[in-house]
Amino acid sequence: MNEQELHGKLSGAGVAGLGELDTTGPDPFVVVEGSGIRPVLSFLRDDPTCRMEMLHLVTGIEREDRIEVAYHVSSLEHHHSLTLKVVFPRPEAGGHDDWRPGVPSVADIYPAADWHEREQWDLLGIEFEGHPDMRRILLPDEWIGHPLRKDYSYPSEHGGIPLELDAVPMYERGPDWEREEKVRKAKKEERKAGTPLRQPPAPGSDRPHAGGQAPASSKGQRHVIEPHSGDDDDGKSGAH
Amino acid sequence: MYAVEEKNDVFTEELKLNLGPQHPSTHGVLRVELKMDGEIITASRCDIGYLHRCAEKIGENVTYLQFTPYTDRMDYLASMNNNLAWSLAVEKLIDVEAPERAQWIRVIVAELNRIASHLIAFGTYGIDIGANTPFFYAFRERESIMALLERPSGARMLYNYIRPGGVGHDVDDQWLADVLAFCDEFERRWKEYNTLLTNSHIFIKRTANIGVIPKDVALAYGCTGPVLRGSGVKWDLRRDVPYLKPYDELEFDVPVGEGTHGSLGDCWDRYWVRMREMMESIRIIRQACPRVPDGPFMDKKTSGMYKTPLKPKPGEAYVRCENPRGELGFYVVSEGGTSPIRCRTRAPSFCNLAVLDVLLPGTMIADGVAIIGSLDIVLGEVDR
Amino acid sequence: MGILNHALPNIGPVKAVDTAIGWGRKSSIWPMTFGIACCAIEMMAVYAATFDLDRFGAGVPRATPRQSDLIIVPGTVNAKMAVRVKRLYDQMAEPRYVIAMGACVCGGGPYVKWGYNTVKGVHKIIPVDIFVPGCPPRPEALMDGILKLRDQVGRDAVFARREQAGKEMDGRYAAAS
Ligand code: SF4
Repeated sequence: MNEQELHGKLSGAGVAGLGELDTTGPDPFVVVEGSGIRPVLSFLRDDPTCRMEMLHLVTGIEREDRIEVAYHVSSLEHHHSLTLKVVFPRPEAGGHDDWRPGVPSVADIYPAADWHEREQWDLLGIEFEGHPDMRRILLPDEWIGHPLRKDYSYPSEHGGIPLELDAVPMYERGPDWEREEKVRKAKKEERKAGTPLRQPPAPGSDRPHAGGQAPASSKGQRHVIEPHSGDDDDGKSGAH
Repeated sequence: MYAVEEKNDVFTEELKLNLGPQHPSTHGVLRVELKMDGEIITASRCDIGYLHRCAEKIGENVTYLQFTPYTDRMDYLASMNNNLAWSLAVEKLIDVEAPERAQWIRVIVAELNRIASHLIAFGTYGIDIGANTPFFYAFRERESIMALLERPSGARMLYNYIRPGGVGHDVDDQWLADVLAFCDEFERRWKEYNTLLTNSHIFIKRTANIGVIPKDVALAYGCTGPVLRGSGVKWDLRRDVPYLKPYDELEFDVPVGEGTHGSLGDCWDRYWVRMREMMESIRIIRQACPRVPDGPFMDKKTSGMYKTPLKPKPGEAYVRCENPRGELGFYVVSEGGTSPIRCRTRAPSFCNLAVLDVLLPGTMIADGVAIIGSLDIVLGEVDR
Repeated sequence: MGILNHALPNIGPVKAVDTAIGWGRKSSIWPMTFGIACCAIEMMAVYAATFDLDRFGAGVPRATPRQSDLIIVPGTVNAKMAVRVKRLYDQMAEPRYVIAMGACVCGGGPYVKWGYNTVKGVHKIIPVDIFVPGCPPRPEALMDGILKLRDQVGRDAVFARREQAGKEMDGRYAAAS
């Protein structure tokens, strides 16, 4: 059966929450309402003409205005496959931490979904309701944030482990390392925030060498060019 | 989980055991938390993520072409097959097909890499069980394969050779002749392996009837590749859903487990499926080498697009390929930009490993190592 | 090396004894069985028959850090693994040596820009003696690294007073851990 026939079969069976078949892209998919994903998947698994024995993938996709969860199922017996999608529109003020779309878990229908759902929770912050063991799977338990979200900002360290390119090696940290680190971070923030040094001194200011004279500008510029290479990624990640 | 039987008259204290992440037989940095009653595992929990390298985030930030080398580093034992799956996904998205010569070269290099990957599985499995010699034999043949693959691609292990639109460089007739010569050589060696390990009495005792995965469990957990075939399911994407044209025209068998020395789906069956798959790959290469047609090795239109980043139309593509470890899938979602907005990998090892927590409870700790080895996981792919 | 550790003056006879001991030590560097990622496969290739690391006395991988002199870190270290790598290093007995194998452990490699949880070089965690760049380094490159380490081990003083720099480094490491 191809996707059209499978969709016809599903709508013929009157499964609740079934949406339209989308055939615009290279791979067609069926949109399903959030609560309908469980009955649809159990129907696909148990119906003798569908017999979707295998769940391949559970994927969360974050777009501008919504998060989608895609399910790929396929049948070994009949050699056909289908993609299902659940869509969650982004709420008005949905930020990184306060927006966690909830999807019914299918881990009891397909045990394969167990780890996939945990991974989507870990990386994208999609909560699967009714999952037996909703913990992080790839990242450490105490990790902050969900890295695949577009507004994720990169951490500079995790539990004392430096994660930046220009970080001070752990065994080279002196006794007042923490203070130095604070100064370094403040400097970095300063550079990120538009580098006040780059701005021309205000007219009438009493800075030495004011007025665009060569020594002042070259000194200032050296300070600006200095940023280490790691600065660049932070700039990009901040842009998301 | 497995409950300790009440009637046992010998009770030992329950022991928590940490296997890994630095352990010689976890095949990388897998960590398994075990609860032990004496030598019997009563409960187990996998802890992965020690090699999480942010591949999916990287995929969302680099261009389609730039991501090819990262697919190498997922399943680093079978990088050709990973390149192949990624290239097919991108090709599906931009609606091109590789020229015929490229397709045949792809088949040959992918099958060579499959043999190399199974050789590592064979060699390291021997070490897990306590036989050191097969490792050295396996690496000898693997070196010849790496030397062969190095000639067109220029790299020993992570090739970045199959690219969207074709292959990176052309191969010459001498190379094809050398591949055929290797096939003859390998067939002789393969018989040696069987006398070394396959039919060894100790090896059979250690692996037969251990870690039995019934067919329905394998399907429910999404196991694929030799793990699924070891349980007696005749399913191979190359045969059932051919993703490259040549696979349709070639003749080969799909070996499945038969329960030769014990129940169907035990460690020995999985091992034996891998061994026979190597021979099937040799058969495929033998047929493919003389049939490589003349012509371009890279799609003209696509290679023209290499100068500026590819910009596929909005849409999504999911492509599955038969990797040495199972079905590798790439799910790419494009919104028209130079990089995908989601680049998801269905890693076969990830799904195969999920079944471990079901297999371990109730077995002895030494068998646990045999079971982990027989699943043949690559942690680079589990964690990505 | 007991109470005599670096306690003797740096004079001829002491140096001669040191040289003899150094020759013995450099010919039996035992690495630890430790693989993380892709580079570990190339490391295995170095142990195997074609390249045969045993020629230089370093082909006896030990399964425990307590028996090994050398830790080759082959592959990307991430936030979760870094704690373990550090603990493994701490468990090794002095004198201990570290080889950073591969671009990932030398400075981030392919994961330097977008890797949110990779450590950009294992030298942020443990002090490294030899860096072997490459992605993955060819087996010859790793062997070259090990040969360089052999030279270094052979020159190391055992009884004679050490160079100041080394001492300082140990002190700093002790302060951090
Ligand atoms: S340096 Fe390259 S080959 Fe080595 S672990 Fe890193 S990505 Fe893999």
